[in-house]
Amino acid sequence: MKFKCAELKEFEIVGRPLPKGDEKMPVYKMTIFAPDEIVAKSRFWYFLRQLKKVRKVNGEILRMTEMSNSSPTKIKNFGIWVRYDSRSGSHNMYREYRDVSRTGAITQCYRDMAARHRARPHSIQIMKIEVVKAADTKRPVIKQMHDSKIKFPLPHRILKFNKKSIFVADRPSTMQ
Amino acid sequence: MLYKRYIEIGRVCFIRLGDDIGKYGVIVDLVDQKHLLVDGPDGIGRKVVRLNQVALTDIKINIPRGCKTKTVRTAMAKEGVEAKLAATSLVKKFAAKNAKAQLGDFARFKNRVAKTASNRKIRSTVRKLKKSS
Repeated sequence: MKFKCAELKEFEIVGRPLPKGDEKMPVYKMTIFAPDEIVAKSRFWYFLRQLKKVRKVNGEILRMTEMSNSSPTKIKNFGIWVRYDSRSGSHNMYREYRDVSRTGAITQCYRDMAARHRARPHSIQIMKIEVVKAADTKRPVIKQMHDSKIKFPLPHRILKFNKKSIFVADRPSTMQ
Repeated sequence: MLYKRYIEIGRVCFIRLGDDIGKYGVIVDLVDQKHLLVDGPDGIGRKVVRLNQVALTDIKINIPRGCKTKTVRTAMAKEGVEAKLAATSLVKKFAAKNAKAQLGDFARFKNRVAKTASNRKIRSTVRKLKKSS
């Protein structure tokens, strides 16, 4: 389907069913994470169709804006509520990621879901994403970074292998 | 202790790969096991870098975790990070490698001629010494 870009973008899409005459139509707003505008609009209609009785043919998009990152140099813990289809059923999940931006965290989520659950993007629905305070995080992978005196060495550091030195007289040093 | 250089808040690291190659920054925070938030002089600013883009140095400054850019810059100036860094072999080697890559064809030719001349002199001197001993 999609999602092979470097990082997803966050779009806020507002749409409504087309008015018939003077009737006032309800307006719906959604936050969609997608690689580009076209996919974003498509997903907007996909979700809206599931929730309300409106289709792209009978509707219009009033506004679509790309949301920018609020604090791109502040590291945050994101809690993401996901619904995804596995091979045998549909499941809810709560996942946590540490990143500098919402889009970064969501991108990590998609990559992670693909890796751990073989879930393709079309079967993943992001229900909610929220910044979680460090004390409220649940996952040990995230909690391990919440140490004010965090410190670790890089033991046995293997950097990019130089093909010119396949055979060398002395064993290379991996001490950083 | 076996390890002397740690990934820690305040560690000065040298960027050895990527867009900011040749620049340096101080580790201000850690995103996860593979990403760092570094802050450096104007050339690099405050950004997230990957661990494998980075080479650790022996220099460490005292800064609180996640502090503002201004705090980092004053701490770096106080410790004289730039001068200390220029003295490290890592930076010196990088500069030398860079200089060599920038050489033009004529400069390389001159180096080659000089090298062969000096090698010839060395070898002839060694041969003379061997013969005499």
